[in-house]
Amino acid sequence: MVSTIANVDVMQKDADKALVVAISCSAVLEDADDGDVYAAGAAFALLQALKSVNRQLVAANPDESLLFDVLLVTTDERRRRQSARIVSSTKHYGLEVSRFCFSGQEDFVECLLENQAQLFLSTEPEEVALASQRGVLSALLGHQTWSSPSEQLRVLLCGDDVVATFTPATQRFWSQLGALRGRFGVLDSPVSVSVMTAHGGRQHFGAILAGLRSRGLKADEAHCLAGAPRGPILEVLRPHFLLGDLAWLP
Amino acid sequence: MSDIKINESKQVEDNAEEKEEEKDWAAAKAFFENLKTNKPRPPKPKNAVTIAVSSRTLFNMVAERLIYETEGVESYVAYQVEHENEPLKPGAAFPFVKALMTVNARLRALYPDGEELFDIVLMTNNHAQVGVRLINSINHYGTLAFGFMQNCADLLTIMNFFSDLTIERFCMTGGKSPIGYLKAYMTNLYLSKDAEKVTEAIDEGIAAATMFMPDTENDLCDNQLRVAFDGDAVLFSDESEIIVKQSGLDSFFEHEKKFENKPLAQGPLKCFLEALGKLQRKFYAKNERLDCPIRTFLVTARSAASSGARVLKTLRSWGLEIDEALFLAGAPKGPLLQKIKPHIYFDDQMFHIEGAKELGTISAHVPYGIGQKYHKGKLIEQPKKE
Repeated sequence: MVSTIANVDVMQKDADKALVVAISCSAVLEDADDGDVYAAGAAFALLQALKSVNRQLVAANPDESLLFDVLLVTTDERRRRQSARIVSSTKHYGLEVSRFCFSGQEDFVECLLENQAQLFLSTEPEEVALASQRGVLSALLGHQTWSSPSEQLRVLLCGDDVVATFTPATQRFWSQLGALRGRFGVLDSPVSVSVMTAHGGRQHFGAILAGLRSRGLKADEAHCLAGAPRGPILEVLRPHFLLGDLAWLP
Repeated sequence: MSDIKINESKQVEDNAEEKEEEKDWAAAKAFFENLKTNKPRPPKPKNAVTIAVSSRTLFNMVAERLIYETEGVESYVAYQVEHENEPLKPGAAFPFVKALMTVNARLRALYPDGEELFDIVLMTNNHAQVGVRLINSINHYGTLAFGFMQNCADLLTIMNFFSDLTIERFCMTGGKSPIGYLKAYMTNLYLSKDAEKVTEAIDEGIAAATMFMPDTENDLCDNQLRVAFDGDAVLFSDESEIIVKQSGLDSFFEHEKKFENKPLAQGPLKCFLEALGKLQRKFYAKNERLDCPIRTFLVTARSAASSGARVLKTLRSWGLEIDEALFLAGAPKGPLLQKIKPHIYFDDQMFHIEGAKELGTISAHVPYGIGQKYHKGKLIEQPKKE
């Protein structure tokens, strides 16, 4: 059975208007050797960045409803039973988690669907696969993403078939992210959207940029690799998470 | 014991990354092979000579730059997007880039599977939205070429024209400095209009220069790439120039004679000359030395009699060749360069850059060494740093 509880310490968002991002608990809070508090996990810096974006959105417009609405989801039995510790760790770190969903391996996807999650992030490939199969846009954290702290949220959309493989879920996410990005100016934005194509050439790259724009997403940074090795470039780009073709998943 | 494990796991990581790289490379090859046009695919970066050009060197964006400076970045981006179907006019690096394509066409004819080619990356801190206009502009020059090809019977001309402006790699940083990406894209030479970025690149050990549009236009060769270099503080270090500036010409001549057989230390553009030499040898290997589409020139204020020997001996000790060495013994470089008509001329002193510009030579300033502190022989007053 899935239970969702609101985090009373954090302002609740209107889930219809916000961008609901669900993150697997194990990505945010790792087992620590001692104490009641978990250690910071791979997605920690990402959460800080999301919080920073929300803060700046509200500063620009106190009535802003297009905010990041973070849902922390447990995906195994052990953590499901650690609800108190999870809530207190969240409070300890001042994480802006709106809701907690205490579910297990079998039913965490229900939780995502019930809470209208538009994006699901996890460090576990199986979890990402399960959620994707049920139509939730999902991304794997850890392999080509960075956990160093940063003020700016960096999202990378990668892959050569990204426009061709759009689903309604993808479309909705990109329109919302695009609108959110549009609340800020060209420079010094707390959120940066990058696009990267790995194999295609210039024409294909241009078509992707135009295609994304027509779907509501204007890229800030763009790379056309045409076969060049992507490792060194990702090390400079340092995205918090990547979305795109399966070819990019390890 | 743990050290070995760490090394092993790094090995595994490196192997995994290499496999990924090979997959990407194979996929890119397949992509280009499946294109209906016979567009040549870009080379493997680690084998290629990669030239990163900024948007303002490839295209003339003077009017747009003015908007950026007077009205700010938002207006600038909006303007570019509004005009994105209007192709930009060629900039200072355009003839150089076209000449690189000509060399590539000749190399592909001799080595059909070769990866040792020129590779161009458009490296700009513009936003991706501005990038659409840049892509459209590059497409425009490609289309012109294609149209011509359909009317032209001469095979060699077809080859040359069809390789016009094959720029397939792009790095648009959306505002942040591109310097971090230069190494990631394996850049051998970076050309920009921004002296600060160029200086940063040189400090990172990457050959770089600030490009200037000439005041008049010279007719350039369209079947041979011609690159001219100054010697001191460009190909060589500024060690001798320091002696001139600080102790005068007589000390300089004495010093150079004394150390004639001691090679000079290398300068920021040495590696680029080396890369050009590597490609030239590919033509020599196929008996095309007389018809080589790359020609290099040394244009130095040194005089052949007194200080020239050291320069030639240094080049020899590096195993590098230069096709023509011109010793001016202090005479102005402008008129000579006007005769050479290089696609690009590298010099460390703005005084020479200005002289070259005036007489129609496309010049590139290398902001390196002691020459930056002087103008026309006089020490520039440095403003007090706050």
